[in-house]
This record gives sequence, C-alpha cells and structure tokens, in this order.
Amino acid sequence: MIEPAIEVSDVSLEYRLSRSNIGTIKEYAIAAMKRQVKYESLWALDGITFEVQQGEVFGIVGPNGAGKSTLMKIMARVLPPTSGRVIVRGRVAPMIELGAGFNSELTGFENIVMYGTLLGRTPERMRDRAAEIAEWADLTDFINVPLRSYSSGMLARLAFSVATDIEPDILIVDEVLSVGDAAFQIRSQERMAKLIEGGASVVIVSHVLETIKDLGDRAMWLDHGRMVMIGDPHEVVAAYEKTVGETKP
Amino acid sequence: MTTTYYDSDKARKPIASEVANLWAHRGLIRLIVTRDLTVRYKRSSLGVWWTLLNPLLTTGVMFLIFGHFFRFKIPGDTPYIVYLLSGVLLLTYFAQAVLASGSAIVNSAGILTKVYVPPEVFSVASAIAASVNFMISLMILLVIQVATGIGIPWTVVFVPIPALAMLALTAGLGLLIAAAAVHFFDVLDLTGVAIQLISYLTPTFYPLSFIPEAYWWIIQLNPLYSYLTVFRQVVYGNAGAELWMWAYMFGSAVIVLVLGVYVFSRSWRRLVVLL
Repeated sequence: MIEPAIEVSDVSLEYRLSRSNIGTIKEYAIAAMKRQVKYESLWALDGITFEVQQGEVFGIVGPNGAGKSTLMKIMARVLPPTSGRVIVRGRVAPMIELGAGFNSELTGFENIVMYGTLLGRTPERMRDRAAEIAEWADLTDFINVPLRSYSSGMLARLAFSVATDIEPDILIVDEVLSVGDAAFQIRSQERMAKLIEGGASVVIVSHVLETIKDLGDRAMWLDHGRMVMIGDPHEVVAAYEKTVGETKP
Repeated sequence: MTTTYYDSDKARKPIASEVANLWAHRGLIRLIVTRDLTVRYKRSSLGVWWTLLNPLLTTGVMFLIFGHFFRFKIPGDTPYIVYLLSGVLLLTYFAQAVLASGSAIVNSAGILTKVYVPPEVFSVASAIAASVNFMISLMILLVIQVATGIGIPWTVVFVPIPALAMLALTAGLGLLIAAAAVHFFDVLDLTGVAIQLISYLTPTFYPLSFIPEAYWWIIQLNPLYSYLTVFRQVVYGNAGAELWMWAYMFGSAVIVLVLGVYVFSRSWRRLVVLL
C-alpha cells in the first residue's frame, strides 16, 4: 500500500494577538496586576484535513489572508500546528519565500553554501555543487562577488537555482515566485515541469487560476482559515471564481 | 532535502531531541561560527582585530585607574596586568556568549520564519562563536604573561576545561533567555544589566582580599568567581583555586545547561509562531 506523501489531519494554527499590546515584562506585570492579560485568538487555520498522494499535483486557491501561506509553512515544517497533526513523507523542497538567510556581505559562493545548508544539505555537498548552481542561474561571473552588488533579479535566480538543485519527493511551491526575465521564467518552469515529471508530489499555491486548472490533479479552496471546497480543480476553481467575480485573471 | 519523514505529533524528548538536532545540523553550526568570526568585521578597517580591541581597551583603562591608585595586593604576587586581563577576557567571553546566544533566535527570525531549522541551533552556535573568540583573544594574555616574566605554565593545556564549562553555562543561560526574549523583548536589556551586576560581583580587577571577609560568601556564591579562579589557576598558576571551586564550576555548568535545554524544549513549539 502506498502511503500519502502528505497527511494533514484537523490542523489548526492560532496566532495570539495581545489586546493590550504587551511586549515587555513591565507591561506584562502591570497588565497582570490589573488582571488585563487578555489575548485575542486569530485562527489562521481552523480544522484543515486533506491528503496529497504521491505524484499528485495539488493546488490551493483562496483570497489574500485565507491561510494559504500559513498552510504551506506548516507542511514545510516551519510552523508547528497548534493542534492537529501533519505527516510528510519524503524529501521536501520548500519553494516559499526563497533566499532566507542571504547575507549581502558574503559572496555568491558563500551564500550558495549557506543557503543550501539552511535547507538541510551539507556544506561539503554545496561546495561541490556551487559552480553548477551558479552556472544554471547564469551567475558564473559573479560567484565571487558579494551579494550586495547583485540586482534583485540576480538574487531571485540564485535562490531559485539553489532551492531546486535537489531531487525532491515533494515540492511546496508559491507561484508568486515567478522570477527573473522572460527567458529565465521559461527555464525555471521547465525545471519545475521536469521535477514534476520525475514523480514528485507538488503542492502549489497560485493566483493564476489557469495554472491550477492545467496542472492540478486536485484543488482546495481556502477562506478565512477554513476549507470551503476540495476536489476536481476545474470545479473548485469555477466555484471560487464565482465568488470573486470574473474580474480577476 | 530538509527531511525524509516529518510527524508533527512526534513529541520532543527534552535534551535527547536537542542533542540530535544539534548533531544533525553540525555543518550549519560550523558555517555560522566561521561566518560570525569573518563577516562581522569584513567591512571594517581593523577587521578581526576588533575582537581583541574591546577587552584590550577595557583592560587599558582599568589598568590606568586601578593599577595606579589602588595598588591591590594580588594573590600569588601575580602582576596586576595579568590578573586584570585574565579577568576581563573571561568576563567578556561570558557577556558575549550570553548576549549573543540570548538574542540569536530573535535575530534569526528572518530565517526561522522561512525555512525549517531547529531554533536552538542558532542559540548554541552563537555561544560557540564567543568561545572561539575567547580562545583567540587568549593569545594576548599569553604574550603578556611572557613579557611580564611569569611565563606560561604547562597547566595551560587545561584551559579548554574552564572554557568548555563556561560554554555549557552560557549556552544554558542563552537558551533560557532566547526563549524568554521571543515573548518579551526587554528581556535582552535586563540581561545586559544583570551581566554588568554579576561582573562587579566577580573579582576581575580587585582581589577578594579587598573586600571585608564578612562579605566573601556573596562573591563565593557567584559561580563566575569559581570559573575565573580555576581559569587563572590553569592559565598562569598561583591563583589559589580550591577543589570546591572546580566542583562548583562543573556543577553549575551541568545544572544550568540541563535547565536551559529543558525549559527551551518545553517552549519551542510556540516560538516561531511568535516571531
């Protein structure tokens, strides 16, 4: 029996916002004395349950603030759920908020090693791979230059190249990532397509609803931290589009 | 390749999980430590010499003031400059390690909210970086010991013992503070004040004999007194380290480290959400 790549069962995530803006011990002590330590709960996710099968492309749609990014971070292990359970089987390439830990004083090479290590690979492996990673991002000439002289497009290319330089079992992708110029976008999409063809499971968040319809095997519609609908991507996208009107692309 | 199997329900086992996490991320720790030593001063004209400048300037000023006006009688007739510098270096190590590891998690928020790395990795790596800084700054002390004629005793090979005990103590304190600092940001300011107070309660620039004997117990209760005396004993000798000081040093190191890891282990789940 093949187990699902991702199991999300009844997952909730609570952000606590203190009403009286308690940020220091002093403020806390005063508030505690006045018995005013009150927190406002914000449930970014509320009882989400779904599975992603191996090799499946799973799309997530929903308006801003629906909890899509939070859900991706929970699957990427960045945020532990407040309640519920997440099980992820396989190597994960989290393609969300790329370029974490980039240091502008360090060179391209040093940043490749650091970023790859933050993503869970070994520094030795990253040193071996650095030249090829830079080449793929078209940055070979800049590999020994500090990152502060990189343009934002160059930074994005470097981050993408490092993040995808593995053979992941699971890709967690934020579509906002479409980076670089037209030529690089085509190449990055080709690389993604290759990873998907290689049998990787994909969770993709996109505002380009066509992408979800074209690529997705299934889709989920998320709103205010709750699951509104799950199933066939065409049906989910159609239902979602109805609520937002036809104005959105 | 962040992970091959992740189950959010798998509870952390206090201490065992942290040790496993640190071991699994040893490559990252090594990178953070080297980066800390090289990058921090990359764009400054003095480079890594900044690491040495701070304790040297402090020592210089104190030497001018206390060396001239007070003329303390230092135990074992050790030259005052050696007594003073050894104290300043160890206390600088303590202060740097506690502050850096205490602020490491808050400072790494940009990374911790984007990729999965166990937060304790950043805290412990900062304490290790401070200990490497300390070992480098020791060179100056050894040079001055030679210059003043007291030389370098063979016991200097034991310097890593108090240095490692200090690493355990500061990593434990750092984890406690780091977890608290996520909830209340003024914890770090309070830590700075507390470090200053405990520094004055440690005989760095004055000998214990300068204080009325009735109050010695206060100083002796301060664990840093034991660390400092043991460190002085092995680095230049004749510091009067007693057996109870070694015991107090090891005991406090183990207790604080275990306590820090345990408290951290119970609070880590909420940390990243709060960042």
